[in-house]
Amino acid sequence: RERVRAMFYHAYEHYLESAFPYDELRPLTCDGQDTWGSFSLTLIDALDTLLILGNVSEFQRVVSVLQEGVDFDIDVNASVFETNIRVVGGLLSAHLLSKKAGIEVEAGWPCSGPLLRMAEEAARKLLPAFQTPTGMPYGTVNLLHGVNPGETPVTCTAGIGTFIVEFATLSHLTGDPVFEDVARKALKALWKNRSDIGLVGNHIDVITAKWVAQDAGIGAGVDSYFEYLVKGAILLQDKELMSMFLEYNKAIKNYTKFDDWYLWVQMYKGTVSMPVFQSLEAYWPGLQSLIGDIDNAMRTFLNYYTVWKQFGGLPEFYNIPQGYTVDKREGYPLRPELIESAMYLYRATRDPTLLELGRDAVESIEKISKVDCGFATIKDLRDHRLDNRMESFFLAETVKYLYLLFDPDNFIHNNGSAFDVVMTPYGECVLNAGGYVFNTEAHPIDPAALHCCRRQKEEQWEVEDLMQEFYSLKKIKKFPLKRASDHGDGESAKSPEGASSEKGEEKRKSRKSSHSLLTCPSQSFNSKLAVLGQVFLDNT
Amino acid sequence: SCSRAKDVTMPAKLPVNFFSTRSPVIDLFRGQLDYADHLRQDSEIVLYFFYAPWCGQSVAAREEIEHVASKLSDQVLFVAVNCWWNQGKCRKQKHFFYFPVIHLYHRSFGPIEYKGPMSAVYIEKFVRRVMTPLLYISSRSKLLDFLSNYEPGVLGYFEFNASPQPPGYLTFFTSALHSLKKDYLGTIRFGVITDKRVAEEVSLVHSGSVYLHRHVNTSLFYPNDIMNYTAENICKWALENREVLIRWLRPHGGKSLLLNNELKKGPALLIFIPYNPLAEMHPLLDEITKVALEYHNCNKSQAAEPESQHLGDTDSPAFDSFVPDAHMKLPETFSITKYPCCNTVVLPQWHSISRTHNVCELCINQTLGVKPNKVHVPHCNFLEIEAALDSFYLQEHTFFQVISSTIECSNFLSFYSPFSYYTACCRTVNRRFLSFISSEKTIFQTPKVAFSSHGKKDNTQHSIPHIEDRNCFIPDLHISSTNITGLSCRTNKTLNLYLLDSNLFWIYAERLGATRSTHLKEFATIVDLKEEVHYVLDQNQSLVRSTLENFIKNFSILYSPLKRHLVDDPSIHFHQQHVITEVTSNTFHDTVFLSEKNVLLLYYAQWCGFCASLNHIFIQLARLLPPDNFTVARIDTTRNDLPWEFMTDRLPTILFFPHQRKEQSVKFPEDFSVNLPNLLKFILHHSSLSSSEPCTKECLHKERVLQQGHISHLEREIQKLRSEINALHQAHEQLEAQLTEARREEHRLQQQKHTLEKQHKTLQLHSEQLQATYDQKNQELLEMAEKLQELADASENLLKENTLLRILVAAREGKLQSKDEIKESLQSEQTLSEDNDVLVSAATATSEEKRTDNTDTTETEHSSGNRTE
Repeated sequence: RERVRAMFYHAYEHYLESAFPYDELRPLTCDGQDTWGSFSLTLIDALDTLLILGNVSEFQRVVSVLQEGVDFDIDVNASVFETNIRVVGGLLSAHLLSKKAGIEVEAGWPCSGPLLRMAEEAARKLLPAFQTPTGMPYGTVNLLHGVNPGETPVTCTAGIGTFIVEFATLSHLTGDPVFEDVARKALKALWKNRSDIGLVGNHIDVITAKWVAQDAGIGAGVDSYFEYLVKGAILLQDKELMSMFLEYNKAIKNYTKFDDWYLWVQMYKGTVSMPVFQSLEAYWPGLQSLIGDIDNAMRTFLNYYTVWKQFGGLPEFYNIPQGYTVDKREGYPLRPELIESAMYLYRATRDPTLLELGRDAVESIEKISKVDCGFATIKDLRDHRLDNRMESFFLAETVKYLYLLFDPDNFIHNNGSAFDVVMTPYGECVLNAGGYVFNTEAHPIDPAALHCCRRQKEEQWEVEDLMQEFYSLKKIKKFPLKRASDHGDGESAKSPEGASSEKGEEKRKSRKSSHSLLTCPSQSFNSKLAVLGQVFLDNT
Repeated sequence: SCSRAKDVTMPAKLPVNFFSTRSPVIDLFRGQLDYADHLRQDSEIVLYFFYAPWCGQSVAAREEIEHVASKLSDQVLFVAVNCWWNQGKCRKQKHFFYFPVIHLYHRSFGPIEYKGPMSAVYIEKFVRRVMTPLLYISSRSKLLDFLSNYEPGVLGYFEFNASPQPPGYLTFFTSALHSLKKDYLGTIRFGVITDKRVAEEVSLVHSGSVYLHRHVNTSLFYPNDIMNYTAENICKWALENREVLIRWLRPHGGKSLLLNNELKKGPALLIFIPYNPLAEMHPLLDEITKVALEYHNCNKSQAAEPESQHLGDTDSPAFDSFVPDAHMKLPETFSITKYPCCNTVVLPQWHSISRTHNVCELCINQTLGVKPNKVHVPHCNFLEIEAALDSFYLQEHTFFQVISSTIECSNFLSFYSPFSYYTACCRTVNRRFLSFISSEKTIFQTPKVAFSSHGKKDNTQHSIPHIEDRNCFIPDLHISSTNITGLSCRTNKTLNLYLLDSNLFWIYAERLGATRSTHLKEFATIVDLKEEVHYVLDQNQSLVRSTLENFIKNFSILYSPLKRHLVDDPSIHFHQQHVITEVTSNTFHDTVFLSEKNVLLLYYAQWCGFCASLNHIFIQLARLLPPDNFTVARIDTTRNDLPWEFMTDRLPTILFFPHQRKEQSVKFPEDFSVNLPNLLKFILHHSSLSSSEPCTKECLHKERVLQQGHISHLEREIQKLRSEINALHQAHEQLEAQLTEARREEHRLQQQKHTLEKQHKTLQLHSEQLQATYDQKNQELLEMAEKLQELADASENLLKENTLLRILVAAREGKLQSKDEIKESLQSEQTLSEDNDVLVSAATATSEEKRTDNTDTTETEHSSGNRTE
């Protein structure tokens, strides 16, 4: 753990020294460059890592630096997707954590605050991209002028479906539903355009809704779409998103899964198009663990781990039948996905194998990619040549997940035994009760915060009414009795959550399934022994 | 997806020493495989350690290798090769999928890959095995030693008198090495008998014959006539035909189905013991082996074992069948426990009519783990027995109910000492046995104190403790008529027996419920994968033969007294803020059923995303509900097992146990979303007491209490509202500040607007002027264009004239050709150049026109820009 901490500071201090205010550090030449925009990206991305490492004072300093220094009114073409996950996500999580970091927050917190306003501003700059006939966004937008004329309408699937976590949080905190609406619309458009066998391709034309790249898999170009369906469902308790994911999951298992590997297939025919494993796919086991599919997750994880053992990193593409890297795709930019999965799985199983991966990762990264000015991307895993780049996700994700893997008592792992109570103008609010949802750039979002702002007053009054019941002995019996009839058939669509039409729709859906979609299966008996590489086959 | 300024790359760092230069390991960090091969010729045994410098496992194994090397460096050559560096020979020639890889060579034989755990003792054991793959057996005692081992053994008899290398010996030797390739622990041992008389003991007559020893089934001779006598064949034959009484399970850490495959075969007894492969003796292992042997010994007549001849019939008491064993072995050390001292108790007659009695065998067990330095185990004194009897009679009622033809045991802790506990094994017997039993009892009680002593250093006569031991157990064996000899064939719940090294695999034991804190890593459990249950041998009982046998017996009988073990999470630490009660397997009953409150229980797991995101709702709920009547509790189902009837298959699940009707638990309907109002309604609906009897005094009192609760709740609520108002005020102030700020800003902006407007006006004026000049300029330009047109016309005329002139010239030329040629031609050239000049000037004029046009347009753009500003 201490080695991870030292790793972070080595990279972080050199970034501040040599590269700030550029987006990224170039570790071989010891200078900086702008990559995804021009907003000191690494600093925004590394912000919450600072807090997770317990460095409160530096967190406070950086917050004030960002408040003054970052401007989104710039004539820069930025990736909608990357800006959302790194900048909006980073600012949102920093905003929600700022009280924990001892920052004097304003009275409306967590429903208002400087970082939240910055996040909102950045997100508003992205909204023009969503003005398409299908509702699916363009890939790139100019922060000042909106979508450039002649911009390509081809966007990758993940670039369309990776907004719900940040945008829904933003909508819940600020009260402006526009963000959540566009994110949902984009998700639904993708859902509508899935193939007959239930798969989605890699790139789509957002004007005509024609699939441009028809490779279906779980990796590059698609990855965080699936991730956000699940995380969105968890964050918003949304059955619709979850039912979408479960359908996809079924198709993915049917067509792409072979021997616990996930291959690439043609999205309409289901035939294998590329028998490769991509380093980006390694997030999948972590996602599976969130929905309780731990034994499958562990099996896949162990496959991926063998690749790590072979090279000391995960190549972007790994040809499974040949057991070797794919030409031109043999780099490893210190991606976090495998470590992320290890962290989630360690939470679930406490398997020492996962710590072993953590140890290997620390060892590899230190031995191979550490240079005087930071940590350099590995250009070629076959000979460990280095490239002049340190992606911002190294500090935001790789180091964060590594640290969390070795720090089981971190506040992020809080299981609900500790919490904070905050008084807001909208009423009392329980926060930091755990269950943080990480966005795809490892920025934690507190799901409880979503219920703090603009909570419907009716709900509060209803709670108050109900509380009165508890203190009356038997006078007003009619009330519970009325509820009884409601509970009886479960229908009647009266209950307060049926207020929005969306929820009503979701109710219809849930009626079909025998058990609620928003649950995990409990673990089977053999999970007790499924550690140290032991896996069990289904009894069925 | 992003363009880079310039491609700066850096080659990987050059390899450096991996082992220190002082280490006995030769470190070829540049991957000089050719040099490594060269080195191999110098030494009989060579160990290659192929590593990658970045690999964590290699780094971890480095120390272990050094440790082994420091012990064996005089006999074995240790070579470490960096097999990663891409310039090195090793990387170019070998292609490993993982690191480190250990290869051993015995002279030219090899490579033998070591696949075991990266721990020094295991590696050393393996290296030693490669050094001496064969055991040389020269005497009868050595032979018995060899045969009594639990691991399968292959024996070859070779006559060394004739030649130093009798025919077939080399093949046999190689096959021993070959077997190490298959199995890093070398569980098949290879022995060579050098003495003819010894060979006859196992009916080996001819030199060169090979024999596979088996304990339970008949031993085999290698069929020379059917199979060729090759190293591979011998090895394969031995592997196929060996009998496995008890197997070591050694998961290699990578993805494997080992446990899946083994446990799917049926219920399994997993025994965890600390194992040191280098140790000379494994007393505990020997004891377990005996149990295993007994268990599998189905057909005694066939058993070729010398010791098994001592076994009697199943029905007769099996007197210590291992007495002969005792002189073959060095003194067994019962360092962990002594055998318990026992007393037989006949319970007061329960059915006077029936001819049955309940007879109990009461034993005192003492775990000596806490006082390991005691040489002599304290004798079983009268006081202890009496104390045990006291406790026993206190619990007597539990034994009264027993009518069972089999033995049933239960343990209870001593009230006086936490380290000792009593075992009572009871059984109902017919009266005809009773006389016998009472006679036994008298034998037992005459010395008043039946004691057994096993001194660690008691090497006088080993048979004596055995007899005492037997004495102790006679009643038991008589009554139960159960012993485990051949039990595996008699029961339909056959167990597979497995051993695990607790130094390496203790985590499995922990996950099955072994205590974490224990310093003694011994644990036995029966796992039934199909039934999804497991039973645990009480960890307070030491792992000795008798307890193990009882454990197996209890599992095998029809109505097994074993209770499904429920794993419990001991590491619950209560947070000071605990508004939610954390329930474990142990506290489940107390918290949920015995409490006087309504209990709302949440089943959750930390890894389940849907559970964690509900935390805040439950915290809110717990803070709202009146704490006197309601408990909000939760249980982590991954760490805590519950009885079947309380298990759930989905998470999160919410159960409500209403006060006074705890058995009528209700489940929160799944199709309702989990939020505060719904939960409250759910609780209200199910907790409503239907007590509509007239209000008594008690009821009034109740109501008062309730009202008080309500008042305090309302007070809290008011408090909350106050602070909410406070927060609102703050927000209000903040807003006001922002508003004034905004007003000021607005004012400033308005001023700015004014100035801008002024600027705008002047600009407009300016633009009008510009427009005027523009028009003027335009006019001028038009005029200019006209002039130019004229010029062009003129030039056209000139051109025409020119052509005319040419014609003229040509005409003249015809005429004057003969006269003065040179003069004429000069004249025509002059005219031509003049014409060209005119053309050029016309062209420049047009281009100038264009340029002015351009400036005009930019000017207009500019002025319009100003306007919009």
